[in-house]
Amino acid sequence: MSDSAVSPRASRYGLRLRTDGIFLRILAAIGLSMVCAALLVAVAGHNPLTAFQAMVMGALGSPYQIGVVLNRTSPYLLAGAGVALCFRAGVINIGADGQIALGGIGATATVLAWPGPPTAITAIAALIGAALCGALWSGIATAINLGRRVNEVLVTLLLNFVALLLVQLLLSGPLGQRGAGFLQSPPMPRAVWLWRVPGFYFHSGILIGVIAAITLSVLLWKTPFGFAVRVTGRSRPAAAYAGFSVAGVTWGVMLTAGALAGLGGGVEVLGLHHRLIEGFSTGFGFKAVTVALLGALEPAAVIPAALFVGLLETGALAMQRQIGVPSALVVVIEGITMLFILTATVRRA
Amino acid sequence: MIDFLAAAIRIATPLVFAALGGILSERAGVFAVGLEGMMLMGAFAAVMGAWAAGSAVVGLLLAVLGGGAMGLTVAIVTVRCRADNMVTGLTANILALGLTTYLLHVLAGSVAIDVTPLGALPIPGLARIPVLGPLLFSQPPLTYLAVAGCAALSFLLYRTQTGLMLRATGENPEAVFVAGANPLRLRMVAVICCGAIAGLGGAVLSLQQVGTFTDGMTGGRGYLALASLIVGRWNPWGAAAACLVFGAAEALEFRLQSFGIPLSSYVVQMMPYLIAIAVLAGLGRSTKLPAAIGKPL
Repeated sequence: MSDSAVSPRASRYGLRLRTDGIFLRILAAIGLSMVCAALLVAVAGHNPLTAFQAMVMGALGSPYQIGVVLNRTSPYLLAGAGVALCFRAGVINIGADGQIALGGIGATATVLAWPGPPTAITAIAALIGAALCGALWSGIATAINLGRRVNEVLVTLLLNFVALLLVQLLLSGPLGQRGAGFLQSPPMPRAVWLWRVPGFYFHSGILIGVIAAITLSVLLWKTPFGFAVRVTGRSRPAAAYAGFSVAGVTWGVMLTAGALAGLGGGVEVLGLHHRLIEGFSTGFGFKAVTVALLGALEPAAVIPAALFVGLLETGALAMQRQIGVPSALVVVIEGITMLFILTATVRRA
Repeated sequence: MIDFLAAAIRIATPLVFAALGGILSERAGVFAVGLEGMMLMGAFAAVMGAWAAGSAVVGLLLAVLGGGAMGLTVAIVTVRCRADNMVTGLTANILALGLTTYLLHVLAGSVAIDVTPLGALPIPGLARIPVLGPLLFSQPPLTYLAVAGCAALSFLLYRTQTGLMLRATGENPEAVFVAGANPLRLRMVAVICCGAIAGLGGAVLSLQQVGTFTDGMTGGRGYLALASLIVGRWNPWGAAAACLVFGAAEALEFRLQSFGIPLSSYVVQMMPYLIAIAVLAGLGRSTKLPAAIGKPL
């Protein structure tokens, strides 16, 4: 029974983790979902061991493949670290799809509007533009959430659909490449491409992600703001009693998460696709939530969590190419893993 | 005009089923974010059943079972294991998307799965009334069922002991417990039924409207149903009215394009979501959620 003596908000908000032995619980959840995945592979008439071997080899078999994994990991890491911070404050932000989309728009618009020849400065400006656009999108959600008391899950979710359509709208207009046949922007000049690690396929997005995650971890554990975030997530009445502004914390975590997700979108455009393409951010929001919970809402631990999801997906694509098991399997694995993690670790106050 | 209204009703039908299921779940105190996944499972199971057995009835039964299975999963994770409602619902949606895509490839391979869509079922006599006849009494069977569902759920919620207990579970589960009922069991049953009914909504999409299943074919309709049940204030008829508004918004999309009004189709496609946000924001502080919603027991 919930404790009705406490203000209802105390128990309505605040996603909490059972922290005793949390990494064991998460490992168990991953293990159990792998068993389910093996069953599904068997249903498809393939040998699960062969399938998993194809997955591992497809993700780690060559330096090129490892680069693919790191590229795939970058946006999950950036968006996931921000989502973890939001969840710590009891704010459930599932709008990373839209925030990443806006980041892509911001980066592309900056490059296209840049006066004079593009240089490395253009790339930096584009990344800043991406972060600002992502923050703008999460800011709109926050304003509606706080100002009009619409649940943050609903606002961020509905705004995802709007953002994806906004990408299409802009690509069919000012940002689009005429006569391309697809909805896409013109290709980016080589000068604004993200720096690539020599000899490897991966771009510097993963480095930005690691720096961001570690910075967030420091922010969360070593600063007054981080303390306010943690107290707010634990108990809103306690935060109010301590003089912290719940609205202020919500703005802080949402804008930070939006900016990071936007940066993730910019990194995708400048590092990987070298142009803005339709639907490039679809599904990233859920991945961000997955890695945030896999990483136990600890921004630094989101690094291995994002890597795991990146490995899984790269491996699944290779598995589909080599032995024909549909790569949609990986979506099932992610979903089942999440359900196991939720049952094993998350408990509301 | 009649065409336009008929299109609005057609588009609203799957939303109404999902919204009815969602009302059950939310009245019992569990956020219904998983509607999208429940609909998708229903849509998939319906087509698979109708394809394999050659009978729409089997398809509908499987839709109820498929949606119900998703409901059961959500019920176990949220009610029994006390996990966060919102995140669980979101996960259920993704799981359904992955599972249906995977199983479609495994079961059907590259075969196109086509079934005959359920046709219109004019009600003798009434269908011949001018204007109203073609609009209201020449609809496919599941559309009538949706209207009947609204009536049935209204009756259940407001005229029966079970309905009283169900509403009380969303407001004050402790009181239900003291009154001698089991709020946990009520929530479990409500969420499973929510899945079954939303599954029927998915069947409307796949079996009644297009006659095939495509990956992710619900395309956000579960979320619109969720918005409409909030706008309709957790009341079956209110939610159905909100669904009609969304149906009309989408029907308008096709009209505008055929009239050559210079408005980008992407802007028009955004309308249902923008309307949903605007209406939710407009209701703002006046929306009164069931008091105990999202709180684990």
